[in-house]
Amino acid sequence: MSKFLLLAFRNVFRNRRRTLMTLFMVGGGVAGLLLVGGFFAYMYNGIREGSINNGLGHLQIFTSEHFTRDEVRVLDTGIDNWREVAARVKTGAHVRGIAPRIEFYGMVSNGVKTSVYMGSAVDPEAEKSLGFVTKITSGHDLDSKPSGEVEALIGSGLAKSMNVQVGDGLTVLAMTSDGALNGVDVEITGIVNSGMKEYDDRYLRITLPSAQRLLQSDRITNLVVGLDATKNTDSVYEALAPELRGQPQKLVLKKWIDLATSYNQIHSLFNTIYLFIGVIVFFMVLMSSVNTLLMSMMERTREIGTMLAMGTPRLWIIALFMTEALLLGALGAAVGLVAGNLLASVIDFVGVQLPPPPGSTEAMKFYVFHVPALMFASSLLVILSMVLASILPAIRASRLQIAEALSHV
Amino acid sequence: MSKGLGSQSRKTEENSMDEIVNVEAVSRRFSLDTAPTRHSARTFVSALTSANMSVSAGEFLAISGPSGSGKTTLLNLIGCIDRPTSGRILVDGVDTSQLKPNGMSKLRRERIGFVFQTFNLIPVFTAAENVEYPLLVQGVAAGERRARVAEALESVGLSDRAGHRPDLLSGGERQRVAVARAIVHRPALVLADEPTANLDTHNATQLIDLMHGLNRRLGLTFIFSTHDARLLEHTERIIRLTDGEVVSDSSAQGGSHE
Repeated sequence: MSKFLLLAFRNVFRNRRRTLMTLFMVGGGVAGLLLVGGFFAYMYNGIREGSINNGLGHLQIFTSEHFTRDEVRVLDTGIDNWREVAARVKTGAHVRGIAPRIEFYGMVSNGVKTSVYMGSAVDPEAEKSLGFVTKITSGHDLDSKPSGEVEALIGSGLAKSMNVQVGDGLTVLAMTSDGALNGVDVEITGIVNSGMKEYDDRYLRITLPSAQRLLQSDRITNLVVGLDATKNTDSVYEALAPELRGQPQKLVLKKWIDLATSYNQIHSLFNTIYLFIGVIVFFMVLMSSVNTLLMSMMERTREIGTMLAMGTPRLWIIALFMTEALLLGALGAAVGLVAGNLLASVIDFVGVQLPPPPGSTEAMKFYVFHVPALMFASSLLVILSMVLASILPAIRASRLQIAEALSHV
Repeated sequence: MSKGLGSQSRKTEENSMDEIVNVEAVSRRFSLDTAPTRHSARTFVSALTSANMSVSAGEFLAISGPSGSGKTTLLNLIGCIDRPTSGRILVDGVDTSQLKPNGMSKLRRERIGFVFQTFNLIPVFTAAENVEYPLLVQGVAAGERRARVAEALESVGLSDRAGHRPDLLSGGERQRVAVARAIVHRPALVLADEPTANLDTHNATQLIDLMHGLNRRLGLTFIFSTHDARLLEHTERIIRLTDGEVVSDSSAQGGSHE
């Protein structure tokens, strides 16, 4: 067996120039996959952590009826004993903090014009403690204990539509749990620009007590749980979910990934693009390797004939060619891993800037993550491609007519 | 005798126990059409016509004749690397016409050694590894392989060149390695196709002496094709072919070729 492998290994380096070209091609494919995949991984990470730190949190707690609720009377399905739940969850491992929220809807009026809003009521201190950032372009964030007027942050689009600015007043209207229309006057303390137009056109944020006063309820819609690291999401979820199911009010726990719609869409889109690139690399390696291995087979026709004449089983010839392809693929993958990781390190060190993506004003950094799973998958891909490419030459070699092969020039 | 070649292909004739090869009315035709059409008749060329011969164990036999006379074709047929169009060949008691491809391969692997005109050594293997190859294919254990390779290389006088690759060996040395490779698995029969054709006189003479010595010392049966007069001088028996037909057999004429 060792001699057989030795023969395959030495055959790989028989025509060094051709082997180098093949290694360059296979390695290039692996390096390309690592660079693109590493950049995508960086991008996913940025979007994921951005979503989590912009207020999504790692986990969120809702009542089980929340997702089938009537969106007019939002707190009908809210959490009753949320303070106890929050206190209990906060003691868990990896939990950094908890922020209660009310998501509500209604109308906002400046006395002349009325518009629809999507409201979010928060505890500013809890939000800050979790590091959730609100992009305020003018004014300041909500005060957790306001002395006078009810404070509000509104989206830049809504502010423009209502023709208001920081310091102006608005009336916020919403339906209470008993079906009555209630309203509170608010003073705008800040204008928010998230970068997403649809969001900024409807955005309104007030404090939790203000919303509870508006909605005439002590309930909240959800509790946002922040963890010390995203990687702990699953373990905390596994620990918390059974505990929450045991509460008097049936509560459900959602992971950030279940709630991050845009992240999932982007992830799915770029995964498809990556898969497409992978398929291209696979076929590129396959097609060019078939040609290379066929050439190698043709050059060794007389030698194969000799081996067959000496009684070498035809399966050995197939195995020899496939082993050579496997070795070539593995060596190419190793070259690609080294080259890809080196290039990634250089790119990360130099700090290449990309133009701002659509809908953003900030330049994007071209940073490449070193992802072991990608290294494994891309290596496997090219090795598989090489082995597949060797099937045709291997079968042809094994089927050579010995007498003809021995007289081959 | 080789094991497992199939009882159906075993030699049935009792009167030829020491016959290592028996060629009975063997013909071989080749088609000249690479892609014959449905309406055109195939064109054939006859490389061998109704050849008969028998070779006893321990013979040192030359098949001689001009180029295109069918020497290589006859050797290929005896060596089970080609099949006759008609007739049958018994090798070491086995009717090769009854063998399936795997059986032919097994017979070649275990009972026949080959020496080629152009040496045909595996270029990425050393001399010792080339000699070891037939044993590797047979699945001989590593320890025994080492001993037999050393013995074979010693018998051809190349023990000191064991670690050299073919490109570092002279033509004569390469052919001696090829001879060592052909005898290392102790075959019943060694077939050599024009073994001295690519050698100078000195190396050719050395090779002839070597093969003759192995024939005498080990009792190995050698059948080789040649039109090299130097080789023919050392041969006890010569079968002459012309245009695919056996025109003379010196043994039948009382060994009077000299």
